[in-house]
Amino acid sequence: MKKLSLDWWSVIAALFTVLLVRIGLIGKVGF
Amino acid sequence: MSEAIALPKSLVLPKPLRLLPGIALLFAIGYAGKVTEQVIRDYGKAHHLALPNIEYVLWAIVFGLFVSNVLKVPAVFKPGIATYDFWLKAGIVLLGARFLLGDVIKLGRVSLVLVGIELAVAIAIMTFIGRWFKLKPKLISLLAIGSSICGVAAIIASKGAIEADDDDATFAIAAILALGAFGLFAYPAIGHFLHMSERAFGVWAGLAVDNTAEAAAAGAIYSEAAGKVAVVTKSTRNAMIGFVVLAYALYWASRGQAQTIGNKAAFVWQKFPKFVLGFLVVSLLATVGAFSGPQIASIGNLSKWAFLLTFAGVGLKTDFREIRRQGVRPFVVGALAELTITVVTLGLVLAAQSLFGL
Repeated sequence: MKKLSLDWWSVIAALFTVLLVRIGLIGKVGF
Repeated sequence: MSEAIALPKSLVLPKPLRLLPGIALLFAIGYAGKVTEQVIRDYGKAHHLALPNIEYVLWAIVFGLFVSNVLKVPAVFKPGIATYDFWLKAGIVLLGARFLLGDVIKLGRVSLVLVGIELAVAIAIMTFIGRWFKLKPKLISLLAIGSSICGVAAIIASKGAIEADDDDATFAIAAILALGAFGLFAYPAIGHFLHMSERAFGVWAGLAVDNTAEAAAAGAIYSEAAGKVAVVTKSTRNAMIGFVVLAYALYWASRGQAQTIGNKAAFVWQKFPKFVLGFLVVSLLATVGAFSGPQIASIGNLSKWAFLLTFAGVGLKTDFREIRRQGVRPFVVGALAELTITVVTLGLVLAAQSLFGL
């Protein structure tokens, strides 16, 4: 299997995080 | 006869675990920056003092610089510190939630025009000054690519494509990095002095700063809004990397000093920064109403946490001793060219601000 670049991993990780927020698994996040 | 002592297999951690110490350090330094900003602000309020508001971004970078240059970073932290680039890209993708696609296109259009002018000017200036100082031609190409597009990433991307020496690449990278570190402090000061709008400063930071993490930091030091604009502008510039590197590769190939490029479209796609696509996808989702208001706020804050780690990494990875070791001449060329590019892009942005209300 071709190794994914860092770029792709950052996109996958971020989109996965967005999904978790969207479905409510990640709640309110402050800063 | 001496024998190397081999570590027992049980002590060699799997790769993900080896990242943890460095990531923890990034978080600690970033968080220390946040706390410092808050403490100073609270102190000023409690004692009715007007203390200068130094952003957490700057504190995180300064603490990082202190740790890496005054103390010494143990090797165990280095793999994790290198993840700062991952956090930057993930942060940029998440930032898409705070941009409506229409705004991205509007800002992107303005940025694209200014980026096009900046590319042409930066390449011309760097090439002229490089020849004046009699630097090696491929080093000049690398410096031109680094200063016009994207600093270190562009230099590394093109080193292979134009078959430059390792030494040339190292010189170019060192020059760009040193100037970037200086710019973090100088740019916001100049912006405030000229009373630049947040948008105008963000565009200037995105055009002039050569490293994406440092462009984001310089913008964020000025203001949060400027930070967002800087990221979009710099990302537009980054998106051009494939085209610029391809042009240089074709030039050197035509002189018989580099491999010819077979499939040009595939080459451009391969070099295209994928996180820009991720940013656009999230922006599209936000535009069509896929998220509630609180969800957008949460995604935006997650983006800020990711950038926090990035800014800590920017400070930690800057090693002044290493930069000094690289030598003066490429640095002088880089500094002169960067200074000129800084002034020219500032002029461009100020003109766009007054002519088109940037």
